[in-house]
Amino acid sequence: MRLGWVFAVLVAAVLIAVTSAVAIGSVRLPMAGLVGWAPLEPAHQAILWNVRLPRVLLAAVVGGGLAVVGATLQAVFRNPLADAGLLGVSAGAALGAVLAVNAGWVSNVFLALPAAAFAGALLALLLVYALAHLAGRPTLHGLLLTGLAVSAVASAGLSMLLVATEEFRVKTVLFWLAGGLEGRSWPHLGVGSAFVLSGSVLLFLLARPLDLLSLGEDEAASLGLPVHAARLVFFGVAALVAGAATAVAGSVPFVGLMAPHALRAVVGPPARRLLPAAFLAGASLVVVADLGARSLSDRYDLPLGSVTAFVGAPYFLLAIRRSEERA
Amino acid sequence: MTSSRPFLFGTAGPWTVALATLATAPFTAAGFAQDPPRRIASLNLSADEVLSAILPPSRLVGVTRWADDPESSNVVGRVPSSARRFPKLDLEQLVDLRPDLVVVSEYTDADVQRLLEQSGVSVHRMQGLASMAGVRQAILDLGRAVHEEDAAAGVVRDYDAKLADVARRLEGAPRPRVLYWSGGMTAGAGTAIASLIECAGGVNVGGELGVAGIAPPGAERAFMSDPDVVLVTTWPDAAASVRAHPLLGALRAARENQVLAMPNKLLVALSQYSADACRDLASRLHPGRFGDPR
Repeated sequence: MRLGWVFAVLVAAVLIAVTSAVAIGSVRLPMAGLVGWAPLEPAHQAILWNVRLPRVLLAAVVGGGLAVVGATLQAVFRNPLADAGLLGVSAGAALGAVLAVNAGWVSNVFLALPAAAFAGALLALLLVYALAHLAGRPTLHGLLLTGLAVSAVASAGLSMLLVATEEFRVKTVLFWLAGGLEGRSWPHLGVGSAFVLSGSVLLFLLARPLDLLSLGEDEAASLGLPVHAARLVFFGVAALVAGAATAVAGSVPFVGLMAPHALRAVVGPPARRLLPAAFLAGASLVVVADLGARSLSDRYDLPLGSVTAFVGAPYFLLAIRRSEERA
Repeated sequence: MTSSRPFLFGTAGPWTVALATLATAPFTAAGFAQDPPRRIASLNLSADEVLSAILPPSRLVGVTRWADDPESSNVVGRVPSSARRFPKLDLEQLVDLRPDLVVVSEYTDADVQRLLEQSGVSVHRMQGLASMAGVRQAILDLGRAVHEEDAAAGVVRDYDAKLADVARRLEGAPRPRVLYWSGGMTAGAGTAIASLIECAGGVNVGGELGVAGIAPPGAERAFMSDPDVVLVTTWPDAAASVRAHPLLGALRAARENQVLAMPNKLLVALSQYSADACRDLASRLHPGRFGDPR
């Protein structure tokens, strides 16, 4: 019963967040038109259908996906601070994005930026996988350190490319790196949600092996789980989801840490409860954060990643302090 | 142009045929190839400057906030107050303005362009602005896009005349070697700054150094290049930072007071004002040819 209420609240939060974000924007759309009581004039139709609605829905998908990835990796690594950055995905996506900007594809080719970012994320993941397996089956720490090394190399490549990128184009990279959803439309939502939603559903279907992994490698193996193969599957799917989310929204930090961490205390650690709860919380969080990013300043769209970081960092400091007090 | 000229840009892109049709049907009937666009919005300062000169005020409905910035704009006070100023790329505000043509820059994301087009707005992209000839062609192209060919041709005539006057005055003049310097960056061959320096009768040292685009050559290479003139913007501290630099301050050009600070709005001009920029720089590099003190 209690669990039912929790999910009811989470679903309501998503609906309220999405409805508010669709209703509020830099152009005031008449409420009667929004709820279908009166026809919207053509320009307002275009704003609602082409600009605002896909942006809000994409925010929900990105937030949900990042939260599910965070919950998954935290279970696999048995560490509440784990996120997709550990697998080299974020740095790989950033390198792909800056490459597309540097080459001028972003100005000339539709969807070039998210496509290049996604390709960068996948290449980083494959590189982590290949390097970690050079000396046989890697340990968890081996994978982790390989991911950090690949991230460092990708970040170094990003810096080198940035130096060689035209000033005007650099700003596009900076906007992307700071996270944001300005200008995203239905094709971005289509591409992003295909990977994020299917990956999130797959992770939910794998909730039981994920729970076993969260017990520790030896315990999972003693219960018959092929630990190495299971871990790779979780990393692969998590990286696909994180890569797709990052590709369409840039860097949106702390969502993958904050949403699962907050919900674990409420719904408990079992993945079949935590993953959907984290998805809903992450979706609400990013929809509200994006609403703030586009409406707090008349002069600038604030970077979405900065808004989530401003909320997420204090939350985490507070959580760490509470954890230490309990210890 | 590859320099510090502000643009509004970002990243951006139908879900179902039904939704796309719903959203675009009211707009797309009026193709601008047949009908002159009546409501034109600009998303870059170069277009702000050209459109201010060639359009009746009533047809310019949106410009960037930079159009009113005296540091960056050559049209301060000349953009009709009725035109909405865009402090940021806000697609909702832009669509709400109901423009039938939006002028974007070379650097505007293809995704933003697609989203505008899906919202029924025609888009003209200004490009090729990295040379004086490219700027000239871009003005003519923009004039054609807004059906003001004659006005654009008039602007270009004036542009050509100014450049011809500069070229006439510089005939046979020695060409000083000029190093553009902006926060550790210089301009390589093929950039608008390089084109400006060459137009003004100088030799672009960044090109000699093999720099591509706007990039950092490194202070040691810059020092060894021994330019006759260091070109900076009038932005605060630009010239002072060169003089205070442990290496660049020892340059012959710095010692001989040949660090030229050029108004930023001219240094970064990518419009008809590029001709004024050329004349301004030429008069500083070759003061004797223009009869005015440096």
